[in-house]
Amino acid sequence: MFDAQSINLSLEILAVAILVTAFLIVSSRSLLFYVRLFSVQSFLLGLVAVVVATGFGEFHILVAAVLTIGVKAIAIPYVLNKIIDRIKVHKEIEFNLNITTSLLVCGLLVILADSVGKPIIDAQVMHALPVSKVLPESIAMMMIGLFIMLARKQAVSQIVGLLTLENGLFLSGLSITYGMPLIVEIGIFFDILVAALILGVFVFRINETFDTVSVDTLRRLKD
Amino acid sequence: MSEFVYTAVVSILQLLVVLLLAPLATGIIRKTKARLQNRRGASVVQPYYDLTKLFKKEVVLPSTASWIFRFTPYIVFGSTLAIALLVPTIATPVPFHWIGDIITVIYLFAVGRFFVALAGLDTGTAFGGLGSSREMSLASIIEPAMMLAVFTVAVTAGSTDLSIIVSRLSFTPVSIIHPSHLLAFVGLFIVTIAETGRIPVDNPATHLELTMIHEAMILEYSGRYLACIEWASQMKLFVFMALIANMFMPLGIATSFSFVALAIGLGAFIVKVSILAILVALVESSNAKLRLFRVPELLMVAFVLSLLALILYFIIGS
Amino acid sequence: MLDLPSLQFMAFHLLVGGYVLAILIAPLRDRKPFSRTNTSEGNTSQQSFLFVRYFGFGAALLASLSGLFLSMSVLTTGSALHLDLQQTLPFGSLSINVDPLAAFFLGVISLLGAVVSVYSFGYSGEYAGRKNLSLLVVLYNLFLLSMSIVVIAGNAVLFLIVWELMSLTTFFLINYEHEQRASRKAAILYIVMTHIGTAFLIVMFLLLAGTAHSFDFQSFRNSSAQLPSSIKTLIFFCALIGFGIKSGVVPFHIWLPEAHPAAPSNVSALMSGVMIKTGIYGMVRVYFDFLAPGPAWWGIVVLAVAVASAVLGVLYALMEHDLKRLLAFHSIENIGIILMGVGAAMIFMSYGNMPLATVALIAGLYHVLNHAMFKGLLFLGAGSVVSATHTRNIEELGGLVKKLPWTSAFFLIGALAISALPPLNGFVSEWLTFQALLLGFNISDLSVRVAIPIAVALLALTGALAAACFVKAFGITFLGLPRSSHAEHAHEPPRSMLVPMGVLAFACILLGVFPGSMISILTPVTTFLLGGSASALEVLNLGSLTIPQSGAGGVSPLTLVIFLVALTVLPLVLGLLLGGKLQKRAAMVWACGLEKVEPRMQYTATGFSKPIRMIFSNIFHATHEIEISEAASPFFKQQLRYELETESVFEKYFYEPMRSGVVAAAKFIRRIQTGHLQSYLLYMFIALILLLMFAR
Repeated sequence: MFDAQSINLSLEILAVAILVTAFLIVSSRSLLFYVRLFSVQSFLLGLVAVVVATGFGEFHILVAAVLTIGVKAIAIPYVLNKIIDRIKVHKEIEFNLNITTSLLVCGLLVILADSVGKPIIDAQVMHALPVSKVLPESIAMMMIGLFIMLARKQAVSQIVGLLTLENGLFLSGLSITYGMPLIVEIGIFFDILVAALILGVFVFRINETFDTVSVDTLRRLKD
Repeated sequence: MSEFVYTAVVSILQLLVVLLLAPLATGIIRKTKARLQNRRGASVVQPYYDLTKLFKKEVVLPSTASWIFRFTPYIVFGSTLAIALLVPTIATPVPFHWIGDIITVIYLFAVGRFFVALAGLDTGTAFGGLGSSREMSLASIIEPAMMLAVFTVAVTAGSTDLSIIVSRLSFTPVSIIHPSHLLAFVGLFIVTIAETGRIPVDNPATHLELTMIHEAMILEYSGRYLACIEWASQMKLFVFMALIANMFMPLGIATSFSFVALAIGLGAFIVKVSILAILVALVESSNAKLRLFRVPELLMVAFVLSLLALILYFIIGS
Repeated sequence: MLDLPSLQFMAFHLLVGGYVLAILIAPLRDRKPFSRTNTSEGNTSQQSFLFVRYFGFGAALLASLSGLFLSMSVLTTGSALHLDLQQTLPFGSLSINVDPLAAFFLGVISLLGAVVSVYSFGYSGEYAGRKNLSLLVVLYNLFLLSMSIVVIAGNAVLFLIVWELMSLTTFFLINYEHEQRASRKAAILYIVMTHIGTAFLIVMFLLLAGTAHSFDFQSFRNSSAQLPSSIKTLIFFCALIGFGIKSGVVPFHIWLPEAHPAAPSNVSALMSGVMIKTGIYGMVRVYFDFLAPGPAWWGIVVLAVAVASAVLGVLYALMEHDLKRLLAFHSIENIGIILMGVGAAMIFMSYGNMPLATVALIAGLYHVLNHAMFKGLLFLGAGSVVSATHTRNIEELGGLVKKLPWTSAFFLIGALAISALPPLNGFVSEWLTFQALLLGFNISDLSVRVAIPIAVALLALTGALAAACFVKAFGITFLGLPRSSHAEHAHEPPRSMLVPMGVLAFACILLGVFPGSMISILTPVTTFLLGGSASALEVLNLGSLTIPQSGAGGVSPLTLVIFLVALTVLPLVLGLLLGGKLQKRAAMVWACGLEKVEPRMQYTATGFSKPIRMIFSNIFHATHEIEISEAASPFFKQQLRYELETESVFEKYFYEPMRSGVVAAAKFIRRIQTGHLQSYLLYMFIALILLLMFAR
């Protein structure tokens, strides 16, 4: 069996790799690339779960890991790819905030998350789980996901933002309590899957109705 | 006495490795690209033929140019080769490591860039100015990104001296495995692609005015001057690969002065650089060139990642 | 006997006497010494002009050389000069105190002053018969005198008097070419800003004197321990604003890019090279001498201001195509770099880590010296260009490398130095600053650990942008083809202007190649301010610098130069071996199919900085307008007008609201100015009653 230190290290590296994928999402403007990156991200997240499961003997997380890879790394990207094909919008053109600034803001978010997370880890507010070292990364992921939803206009990017946020949530769950009880976990997965499907249908409908998938037009719905 | 022998042998080896192997690395990249495109491509030693031919050719000087244009090739060549003395390739510590640390290396690159950009403006043509404007603008993000990425590793090793960094890391290879090094590595790789003018940032094989960056500045160079500049940019690519190879994978590098150790070091180095060359070729083949004003966004990724690497290291610590 | 104190005493008197003599004697030969223009009668002209020129600037040269001597004698022997001028003033004795810190700044001022005085011999020839030279001589000497005394004053009252004198002479010098509207506007802006600064300084000194019960610097030093921390914080901010305005840090920089270009070039060299450093002097004096040690967050605030100045200074410089304004913006940038060293030193000092603080402070102070050298050089170079071509707009220049070979070579050295390229002096101080910041890894406080990497990142960004800016400044001005007839018919300036530039260029090389010996001169300063603890910086033989605490990271510029030269020769040898003697042939460059290359085909300065304008569009908010008028065919445009405007964030969002706020407040208060005598009596009556009620 591996020792705790090397498990820890590999967890941290995986968490940072997940962060890199989030940054690449922020830096790109191709919707297909978003989806591909999201898939990679979820796969890495699945690996984290596998490492936690095998490394600390919490085998119920393996189910979550399989679900993560199955649902988030394969099923949802597949659905999103279908939608992108159907609505024939491949590029994000307009932004609420341009990419350079977005990257800098995300950088600041990570710094913020780190400086918030570091004292929590140091003070050992939680039981000193070895996994909790990735807490700052998970907070950063949640904020970046939210930020993507703020900065982008395309409906697909909103979905990717939401999913990134959810990935961050999953990571933080893992880091604090070795994952939530299995039943809750499974519930969330189906929620996410259904949400992605419904959002996909929505996007498709919005596109049909308005000839665009920019969420700006949704403002018109209030009239 | 042995001190002197060590200094002389390793320094000369160091210079020779960079001088002589740099064109080979370029050859490997070109060959790999050709194979990926289902071409046979020129032999991997073609860059050597090109250089010797260019050295023999006559120089055509633009009538508008001044002494800056004539001095630049030598300055670029000299400053790049000076870097070769400071960056460990096959053995560490390099004997002259006390001349300059990583900050010096980065600013020596800037010397070469400064003069090439001036030479671009010296010709008085539109292309020259176009090239130097683009080169300097992109460099303004590349340079800090590179610095931050390298500083992350430097702080890990507790020194800004390259030889000491590589020596320390090669004794404790585990300390390289750190989350912030992953960020630094990604940053430095993007920087390498950008700084050496590779796709998706710049295309070394084109002279199309809309896309040229580096080539536009040196458009008016010919003959021996062009040979110096070409050779210098091949060495630059090589030195960057040596930096990445020895900072992130210092395995195999010679830390003692013996024939066997040096031979192992040379072998390991060639393997590492070949892997990196193939990696660069893969990136070049699988990407399209970015529009000029999309390039800063890519470079910004490198900058932010490198900055985060340094901050993460500062906050999390070892 | 000529022992050291009496030599120093003599040097001090020569310093003051030289300047005063020039101030008194230069106008005597003139009938109307203080008229601003002097196109008058022929008899005052030639001879008296020469007299004023030689005597005025000669006396300045002598005075500044003795100032240099005084400073070096204090720095090398360590014995400070202390003089009491008057014992009977109500505010205590007006004393002069040349301690190591003062000596260092006096040395910088005197060194550049001496060089610029020589340059002024030649440069003032331009004003022959056009302007009143006596006035320039008087103001010039007064300016140097007041600057020198500012840094050696040992008493707050004397300090404020000469500080004001310096501000006023600068005001008149900016206004010297008063027939230009821009000069007048710049002068007014300067005087307003600098007086706001002085107000803060007065408050600061009053706060200090409140506890010390004296205006003597010595008593400030002794009583600072008794100051409550809230008062200390107040003093910190007063000093930051008061001295910050003088040194032009963001956001108080707005006067600087207007004022420096408006003054005559020899004066701009002094203003940019040394005058703004008096602000740095003040900050170092207050933070390290009077208040030390302050809390760490002071250092972080200074670091933040420094970073903002550095980055914004260089970004705005990139957008300029007025050569002197460009250089002025670079002064803001370099003040930022200096303050990074100072800020880092304050952080280290507050944690009691004196060896690290020493490195950081040396980095800052060494950059003070280096910036004086290369910025002086660049301004003198710009002055030569302006006097040769009569334009400061680099869009009208080009090709000067062939017309002004020496000027361009010197300017190139200055450009390389300010871009921090090895082996010149800018590189050494920037290297030290990087090292000092990276040493922040030794501090375990979280806020410091976040601040330091960001400062490192932005310093790196600044360095790279400065290089881009000076490729533009040098390339567009001196290379390529001349863009106007001014540039085509330019001539090299006289030797009295070239020699000073050569001296400064040589100084840039010397300070870059032999940093060790120069830095050892700084040791008394850091010992004086930070105590005699060991420095984390070691100077080895051959002038190489090493920082053992950062794992022996080091640099040896001398060896580097030797290798650079040797390796630059290598391709020559290789060429000879591979291809024999170099065959050269001159030919016209390809002009895209047209007959020959026209100057108008070249890249312009505006075009050069376009990519940077796009990358940093969030800061510049550039708006442009293109107007194309077509003749017969849409393929052949007749005329194209391109107008570009970048927005100054601070003017729009900081100064404009403040100005309108002040105006609105003034309007409101004006209501009580009714003009009726009775109402004024009423005010007095109310005031009296209130006083009686509350101030019993």
